Amino acid sequence: MTSVTAELLVVRKRSSTWILLGIWSALAVLFAYVIPYVEYLNGSGPGPGSLEQLLPAQLAGNLVEGFPFFGGVIALMLGVLGLGSEYGWGTLKTLFIQREGRLHVFGAKLLALGAVLVPFVLSVFALGAGASYVIALREGSAVDWPSAWLLVRTMGAGWLILAVWTSFGLLLAAVSRGTSLAIGVGILYALVIEGLISAFADAVSFLEPVTEFFLRANAYSLVKGLGLSVSEAAGNGPGAFSGPYVATGQALLVLVAYMVAFLALSGVLLRRRDVT
Amino acid sequence: MDDGFVIETTRLTKLYGERILAVDRLDLRVRRGEVYGFLGPNGAGKTTTLRMLLGLVRPTSGSALVLGGAPGSPVGLARVGALVESPSLYPFLSGRDNLRVLARHAHVAESRIEAVLEEVELADRASDRFATYSLGMKQRLGVAAALLKDPELLILDEPTNGMDPAGMADMRSFIRGLGRGRRTVLLSSHLMTEVEQICDRVGVIRSGTLVGEGTVAELRGRESLRIRAEPLAAAERLLTTLPAVERVTTTDGALNVAADPDAAPAINRALVEAGIAVSELRPEQASLEQVFLELTQPSEEAA
Repeated sequence: MTSVTAELLVVRKRSSTWILLGIWSALAVLFAYVIPYVEYLNGSGPGPGSLEQLLPAQLAGNLVEGFPFFGGVIALMLGVLGLGSEYGWGTLKTLFIQREGRLHVFGAKLLALGAVLVPFVLSVFALGAGASYVIALREGSAVDWPSAWLLVRTMGAGWLILAVWTSFGLLLAAVSRGTSLAIGVGILYALVIEGLISAFADAVSFLEPVTEFFLRANAYSLVKGLGLSVSEAAGNGPGAFSGPYVATGQALLVLVAYMVAFLALSGVLLRRRDVT
Repeated sequence: MDDGFVIETTRLTKLYGERILAVDRLDLRVRRGEVYGFLGPNGAGKTTTLRMLLGLVRPTSGSALVLGGAPGSPVGLARVGALVESPSLYPFLSGRDNLRVLARHAHVAESRIEAVLEEVELADRASDRFATYSLGMKQRLGVAAALLKDPELLILDEPTNGMDPAGMADMRSFIRGLGRGRRTVLLSSHLMTEVEQICDRVGVIRSGTLVGEGTVAELRGRESLRIRAEPLAAAERLLTTLPAVERVTTTDGALNVAADPDAAPAINRALVEAGIAVSELRPEQASLEQVFLELTQPSEEAA
């Protein structure tokens, strides 16, 4: 447990943690509320239903749309920096000669990163709640909040999606023993491989089954039942996803399986490789 | 393995890839309570050896025992403090917070932090970020980190790297102090004066192999006498007849005389009484540096 508190101290004092949290929170609110509301005010929005999407009642569905891609990429960076920087500073070597085994140290890092993802979820929901409340007041609309159970499930799903991407970042960092290549490959994968193949899947039939195993497909599928607007997701910029969606249970299982696989592979690499 | 060895390696070998033989069948034995100097030129395999002793690098073959256990085992690591290569700590954390992180990983009471900061004289800068430290201060914090566990075995890899002369002198005297009592220190260095001043025994490594081992005095060998005299040939003839003289050789126009330095007055008197002018007579011993260079430079045949 003391190892976890040590890692929490490191994560807490790293400026990159707070910079990523700030960027993610700002982007989430900007794209989920600020830009759509400005569009609504200018009459350039998608339609008369666009205001409803911004009201407190749609908080869960509106915010969760940002997690599968934008939040994922931010979480990927968090994971890469959480482990990759340690190679650059040589601190992994220092930690591995303290007392505990390598997997114990890795486990402490995982728990600390898992814990730091909680504010990544909470901050977005808190800011989103504030933004939707302000919009509702300005528009004289009713302030009806989603049920607590829906919010808890949505936040849990958001945390899981971020955790899977963080694990992917950890794996890339462990493979490349650094940060630059890992971030480059991670973003390339998220943007180009998943993005382009998903975009072509509609036209090229044999690609469709492949996309069902993508993080993007399973993450969107996981949150589909939580109020996600499918049409909004299809127009979600570089994070766009137009299907095919899989069942929620399947999505949950696939995401958990990915996370376990990423972490297990990272653990094997950390345990077996020489630390120089 | 309680035969007095804190570190014992048997034919320890590390091959990187298929061609780079960093450590080659190394047999190293470090006794309990001694300060052991591990000398070698850059690239000789010192740091790779230390990494294997700490479990950071897996040997290709051979074995090592550290405090009776496998290198890198949690039980063993709890009793070992190390500074390998350069102090590798979090640049964005203060010196104190860096030690706090390590203390928590090592399950050491945080009260030790202030004690080791005092020991390395960094208490007044402990709140500053590690990134702002000078190289010498980083080295001292690295030593403080190694001392956190109050270890039985301290492994220090070139701890005076980057220090100014005063800092180096302080660090050497500090390490000498650390080596007193039950603690064992394995000090890797390529600085002769450092090893000469600090270490009880020295092992010299070249191309991953131990090529010499002993106390500094043993490595330097016996003192001899260096004599300049005129005429030189007559002096050499006379000296070979003296019972106190074991052997005489000539180098650079002077005589190297294998004899007890206490016999110097009698030898001088004999030369003078024989009408030989003596312009120089002094005891001489190979420096550790000379021994080191002899041991570590490739032989001419090999070249």
